[in-house]
Amino acid sequence: MYKNWRAYVLPFLVLLVLFPFTYLLFLSLSGAWYYPDVLPKYFGLRNWRTILSSETGLLQSFLMSTGISLAVAIVSTLSGFFISKTVYYHPHKRILNLLAYLPYILAPVVFAACLSYFFLKLGLFGNVTGVITAQFLISFPYALIFFSSFWNERIKNYENLVSTLGGNTLDRYFKVLFPLAKGLLLVCFFQTYLISWFEYGLTSIIGVGKVQTITIKVFMFIKEANYFYGALSCCLLIFPPVVLLYINKKYVFKKIA
Amino acid sequence: MKILERPLLKNKTSATGILLFIVLGVLPFAAAFIYALLYSFGLVGVISSGFTTEFWVSVIKTGSFFKSLGYSAAIAGIAVFLSVVIALWLTLKFKSALENKFILMMVYMPLAIPGLATAFFIIQLLAKGGFLSRISYASRLINESNEFPDLVNDNLALGIILAFLTMIIPFFMLLFLNVYKNERIEDLRILAYSLGATSRQVRNKVVLPILLKKTRVLIALYFIFLLGSYEVPLILGQESPQMISVLVIQELKQYDLDKIPEGYVVAVMYTIIVAIAAVFLFLPRKREQYV
Repeated sequence: MYKNWRAYVLPFLVLLVLFPFTYLLFLSLSGAWYYPDVLPKYFGLRNWRTILSSETGLLQSFLMSTGISLAVAIVSTLSGFFISKTVYYHPHKRILNLLAYLPYILAPVVFAACLSYFFLKLGLFGNVTGVITAQFLISFPYALIFFSSFWNERIKNYENLVSTLGGNTLDRYFKVLFPLAKGLLLVCFFQTYLISWFEYGLTSIIGVGKVQTITIKVFMFIKEANYFYGALSCCLLIFPPVVLLYINKKYVFKKIA
Repeated sequence: MKILERPLLKNKTSATGILLFIVLGVLPFAAAFIYALLYSFGLVGVISSGFTTEFWVSVIKTGSFFKSLGYSAAIAGIAVFLSVVIALWLTLKFKSALENKFILMMVYMPLAIPGLATAFFIIQLLAKGGFLSRISYASRLINESNEFPDLVNDNLALGIILAFLTMIIPFFMLLFLNVYKNERIEDLRILAYSLGATSRQVRNKVVLPILLKKTRVLIALYFIFLLGSYEVPLILGQESPQMISVLVIQELKQYDLDKIPEGYVVAVMYTIIVAIAAVFLFLPRKREQYV
């Protein structure tokens, strides 16, 4: 009896997980869906075709978001990796770790609102460079904290071994540190990419509506009550993370095995 | 042969590293906080006319911050508590099923949906004109959309809590699963059974204490994240009270310039609370951390 009950719960939970994905895709393919109809009057690719037109600018937003997230992920991962080494080998690493957490746990939108004056003064308000910089400021602490566990006695000993055997700085990085940290670098890249890709509040404050990333578009469609385009942009918002998650998860599986 | 130990932090590279950390990690936070603090005391800003505590007095008198903080803490607390309970139950009940790659992928999948899309989906599902309302109408459970209960933008914040649950239950499940493996809880369980413990004793004295102790910092961290959450309450929340981030942005974006410093007062108070929480969570020695 108990086993039977469990056998029903699991497929139900799987359906529950898949439902939002299916529903959003279904909604993006729908049109003329008036209350109280349970099914839409139109079902087809009309909404998706508009992506290719300039009417909504969704494709541009998608490409712009991809560019911003790639830039943020690359810069945060690399700077986080190099700087975390100094921070987590420092005698006062506990204090430095606490300082790294402060911008990380503060709500990004509040952080951006308090920083907006400086962005305005630096000419970084309402442009892509400003949005990349602002998103970097929240993903950099994440990367820094992410690599904290990497820097330990074992790694230090490997580095000393390379130096003892006559290796230089490049040897230490390219023959020891990068190969050892390859997996972590990859996961950190994915995570910081997602932090940037999902970001709405901070982007809306620093971008002031001029930098229309995909999250800004989703919110715009929700406000306009244009639910079909809203669902379509949600699909575009979810698709890259699903792909990244698949790659990332596969890697995690390998690591555990 | 001489063993070469590289003098860490005694060279130029280390000094540059710390300098970069301060410039990129510490300075922006400090600058943002100091600017908000100065603005809240009327020392900077468009209507600045010298030091004043009137904005602080006004915020404290109206109680908007405390109301919003209490509301946010209640929502975040309920969401985190329910998520932990449900995730623990699912992880322990379906532990062997979670070994299956497809099932595990299903746990990962919700992590690909950002808060904004979750909020949009919940509106589509639970609003008066949403999918469930349509099904209720078709099933003759309601006669018009207004009869459908308020499940979004409602007083009890049901929509917000549901959105938070769908976002963090999978995360906690993966976390508990990871700790279960890393801490070799299965071996400890078998050991406890062989020493004569009952199922209840194994669960309450071995499994749950280890899982919760090892993850408590991250659970607290998620409470802080939810406390400052913005997109979900912006879409699914009500006019008043609002969650803290929504309140800050609403105050700062007002057309009434006199009200902007009050927004910075709220921002400063919120930042101080978060900073105190960070000190308690991350400063003590020998604290286990999961990032």
